[in-house]
Amino acid sequence: MRRLEIILSRFVWFIPTLFGLLLVVFLIANVVPTDPARIIAGENATEAQLAILRAQLGLDEPIYVQFFIYVRDLLSGDMGRSLYTQREISDDLLRRLPATMELTLVSITLAILIGVPFGVISAIRANTWVDQTLRVISVSGLAVASFWFAIELQLFFSTRLGWMPLNGRIAGFGPERITGFLLIDSVITGDWASLRSAMWHLILPTLTLALPAAATLLRFTRAGVLEVINSNYVLYETAMGFPRALVVWKYVLRNALISTVTQIGLIFGTLFAGAVVVEAVFDWPGLGTYAVQSILQSDTKAILGFSILVGVVFIGINLLVDIVHTFIDPRMVK
Amino acid sequence: MKAIRILLTDRAATFGSGIILFLVAVAILAPWIAPHPGDVNTFHLMNRLQPPSAENLFGTDRMGSDIFSRILFGARITITIAVIAVGVAVIIGVPIGLLAGYYGGFLGGFLMRTSDVFLAVPQIVLAIAIAQTLGPSLENVILALSLTYWPFWARLVYAETRALKNQTFVEAAIALGASDFRVIVLHILPNTASAIIVRTSIGMGATILTAAALGFLGLGAPPPTPEWGRMISESREYLPEAWWYATAPGIAIFLVVMGFNLLGDGLRDILDPKTRRRGGK
Amino acid sequence: MSQPLLKVDGLSLGFRGDGGFAHILDGVNVTIQPGEIMGLVGESGCGKTTLARAVLGVLPRNGLQIRGGAIRLRDIDMLSHEPAEVGRQNRVRGRKVTFIPQDPFTSLNPVLTIGEQIDDLMKWKSPLRDPDERSYWPTLLRPYPRAARKADREKVMETLDEVQLPQPAQILKKYPHEVSGGQRQRLMIAMALLPEPELIIADEPTTALDVTIQAQILGVLRKLASDRGVAVMLTTHDLGSAYEICDAITVMYAGQEVEAAPVGSFFNAPAHPYTAKLLASRPDAGGSMTGIPGELPNFYAPPAGCRFITRCDRATERCTIRPEPTRFAAGHVARCYHPLTAPESDRKEKRA
Repeated sequence: MRRLEIILSRFVWFIPTLFGLLLVVFLIANVVPTDPARIIAGENATEAQLAILRAQLGLDEPIYVQFFIYVRDLLSGDMGRSLYTQREISDDLLRRLPATMELTLVSITLAILIGVPFGVISAIRANTWVDQTLRVISVSGLAVASFWFAIELQLFFSTRLGWMPLNGRIAGFGPERITGFLLIDSVITGDWASLRSAMWHLILPTLTLALPAAATLLRFTRAGVLEVINSNYVLYETAMGFPRALVVWKYVLRNALISTVTQIGLIFGTLFAGAVVVEAVFDWPGLGTYAVQSILQSDTKAILGFSILVGVVFIGINLLVDIVHTFIDPRMVK
Repeated sequence: MKAIRILLTDRAATFGSGIILFLVAVAILAPWIAPHPGDVNTFHLMNRLQPPSAENLFGTDRMGSDIFSRILFGARITITIAVIAVGVAVIIGVPIGLLAGYYGGFLGGFLMRTSDVFLAVPQIVLAIAIAQTLGPSLENVILALSLTYWPFWARLVYAETRALKNQTFVEAAIALGASDFRVIVLHILPNTASAIIVRTSIGMGATILTAAALGFLGLGAPPPTPEWGRMISESREYLPEAWWYATAPGIAIFLVVMGFNLLGDGLRDILDPKTRRRGGK
Repeated sequence: MSQPLLKVDGLSLGFRGDGGFAHILDGVNVTIQPGEIMGLVGESGCGKTTLARAVLGVLPRNGLQIRGGAIRLRDIDMLSHEPAEVGRQNRVRGRKVTFIPQDPFTSLNPVLTIGEQIDDLMKWKSPLRDPDERSYWPTLLRPYPRAARKADREKVMETLDEVQLPQPAQILKKYPHEVSGGQRQRLMIAMALLPEPELIIADEPTTALDVTIQAQILGVLRKLASDRGVAVMLTTHDLGSAYEICDAITVMYAGQEVEAAPVGSFFNAPAHPYTAKLLASRPDAGGSMTGIPGELPNFYAPPAGCRFITRCDRATERCTIRPEPTRFAAGHVARCYHPLTAPESDRKEKRA
C-alpha cells in the first residue's frame, strides 16, 4: 500500500537524522578543549590521578572511538551521571519528561482551540476590523518573550489578585505516580482534589505557552482558508446553495487544516523551546527547569542529554505529523 | 528612493521599519540621550529599587542604576547580537542553499540532510547546548545563534534555487555557456533576494527572542551588561515588590521583535503578491 | 407564450478594478422557457460565465456593481437584498436551480469522498423533504435521520445509474481525484439532477474534457433534461454542440445579447452579422480557423451602442445607438440595423 510506503520512507529518514543529531551534539561537547576529568577530579588532583580518570572515561582514546563509545552508551540508555543530582541523567530526564509533556500537550490543545477558529474567522472576514484586530493580536503574540509574559502573569494573577497559584505543578503530594501525567494519574486514582489543583496550576503556564502557538496557528489557518475560499469547489457548493456554515467550517476548514497540521511539528518546537524558560519561571518540575539547573551548574553532560531527548521527541513528533498527514490528505496516497 | 516609497504603501512595513529605525537611533545616541549614562557600569546602592519617578522613568534596579538608561544601552547589545548572528547565519546558509540547489546530487543531499539535523531540535535547545559548552559571553551567544539559525536560509534558498534552475532564463544562460559561478551569482542569487530579505527580517525577530531567552537563562554576556533578557532574570529576586523592574525590558523586547515581524510581513506582501493578505479576487 | 422560467431583463453590471470600471454586462436580455434547453453562445470573454454566475448568485463580491436590470426566476427577484426575497432565493438555490460547473476536476472537494459530498447535498437539498422543514440544530450538527438517508441513497443510486456511471456504489467511496474527468462530469450532472430542479445552469460543462467524451456527456445531459422536462442554460463557445442539443440559442457579444432564436431558424437564417461570422468561423463549416478578425472591445471603455461596431463591416453611424430587438421569425429576434436577412415585418416586437 502507498501509505505504508510513505511511512516507511519517513522511518528510514528518521535514523540518519538521529545519527546526525548525535554527531552534532557530540561535536558540540568536544570542540571546546575542556577537560571533564579535571572538572570531576577537582582542582587539587595530581596528574597521575587525572590520567587514570581519563582512561576510565575513555578520554585517552581517539575522538572517533570516543564517539563510538558515546553512541554505544546512549543506545543502552546511558547518558552518564549528572554532576548536580549525582543520578543517571537518563533517569532524571525520563522522570521529568511527563511534566513537560503534560504542559506542552495541554498548551497545544489550547492553542488549537483558540488559533484555528479565530484563523477561520480572520479569513472569512478578511480586511475587516475583525481581521485587523486579530492580526494585531497575533503579531503581538508572536513578539512577546514568553519568560517575561509569564512573570507579568504571575505578578498580576498570583501576587496582586491572588487568583492563581504562583508556581509549581500541584499543591500537596499529588496522586500516586502511575504515568507521571498528573491529570491522568489523579483521574485513575480518583483523587479529585489533586486533579483540581493540577488543573489550577496548569492555567498560567499553558496560557503563556499557548499564546505564541495560537498566534502561529491563527496565521497558518488564515492563509490556508484564504487559499481555498476562492476555489472552484467553494464556488460550486455556494452555487448549489450549501449553507454557509457548512461550506466554511467543513469544506473549507478540512482543506485548510491539512497545511495547518503539517505545521504542528514546528509549533511543537516553539512550545518546547518556550517550555524551557516558562518552566524556569513557574518552577515546573520538568525538563526545562532541569536544563536551567544544569546550565547553572555547568553540567554539560546533562545539557547534552537534554538536547538529545528533546531532539528525539521532536523528530518523533514530526514523524507522527507526517503519518497523520497521509491519513487526512487523501491525495497523498493516490 | 523608489523602494522606500513602495515600502511606505504598506502599513505594517511602515510601522515596523519605524520601530526599527527608532531602535537604531536609540542605540547610536544612547550615551547622549540616556539621563544617567554612567549608570550602566556604576552602582548607587543608596538608590536601589526605586519605583518609577521623574528622575528614574522606569525605576531603578538592584544596583540603584536607572533602568531607562540601561534599556537604551541594551538596545546596542540587542542590535549587535541580532545583526551579527543573523548576518553570519545568512553568510553560512545562503551559499549552502545555492550549492545544494544548483548541483543537487550527493552534495546537495548531504548539505540538506545536515540542515535537517540542525532543524531537528528546537533552535533554543541547540543554542543552549552550544552556548553552555562555550561558556557565557556575548560572542558565544552570537556564535550559538548563528550555528542554530543558518539552516532556515539554507532551506529557503535551496527551494528557490531548485525552482529557478528550471526557469527558461537560467537554462538559456547555461546553454549559452555561462560558467556555474556566473549563473549562480548573476542569475539565481538576485532572484532569491526578495525571499532572503523577508526571511531575514522575520529571522531577526526570532533571533532577538532567543537571544533574550538565553540572557534570561544566564547564558549571555555577564553582568553588569545591560542585556534585556538578563535584566528580567535579575528582577525575579525582587518581585513582587519591585514590580516595575521587569516591565520595561519586556516591553522593549516586545517592541523590537514586533518591529521586525511587521517589517517582514509587510515586505512579504510587497515582494510576493501571491501571498498577499488580501481576501477575495 | 407561457410565463418564462427565467428572465434576465436588461442586466448591466461590472467590476471596479485597477483600470476603472469594467462594463462586463451591458443591458443583457435572456429568456428561458420551462423545459427549454437554451444555448448561450459567444467567444470567451463575452460575459457568458458572468451571466451564469449572476443567476446562481455567486458573483465575486470585490468591486462588483450592479447598475441595472433584473433576474427573475418565475416571480423571485434573484438580485434583491430584501430579507424576504433572499429567503426565497435561498430556498430555490440548489433545489429549483442547480449548477454544472465548467471544471469537474476542481469543483469537488479534494479531501472528502464523493459519497460524503453527495450526502451533504441530499441532506440539505433532497426533493423528498420539505425545504421549509424547521430544525433547531445548528447547521453543522444537524442530524441526517437514517430513514431519510436511506430514501435519498436509493434515489442517488438510481440517478448515478441514469448518468451511466459504472459501479456507482464504489464511486461513492472514492475521492474525486480517483475517478476520471468524464466520470466526474457525469457525477456533476447527477448532482445537478438530484434535487429535481426546474433549471440547470451548465457553464461550459465539456470544455475541460477530452474531445472524444464531450459528445457523450452532452448527450446524457440532453436526454435526462428533456426526459424530466428540466430547462438548461448551457453556456458554450462550441456552436456544433449547441446545435446538437439545444432548443434555442442566444448569442452574446462583449456583454450584450445580439440574437436569440430557435435552433433551426438560427442556423438557417442568422440575422446578426456577428452570428454569421461566428457560424462561418466554425472549423466544420469550412471557415478559417483564425476566427473572426479583430478583438473584443476594451471593457473599461466600450464603444457606445452595438459593441460589435469595431469589428463589423456593416457598421454605420446609426450603430452607436444600441438597436432594439427586431423580430425575424417566431421566437427569432436580433438587435441590428443592418441584418443579413429581412425582418419578418417592420413592426418591432414589444419586448420589455
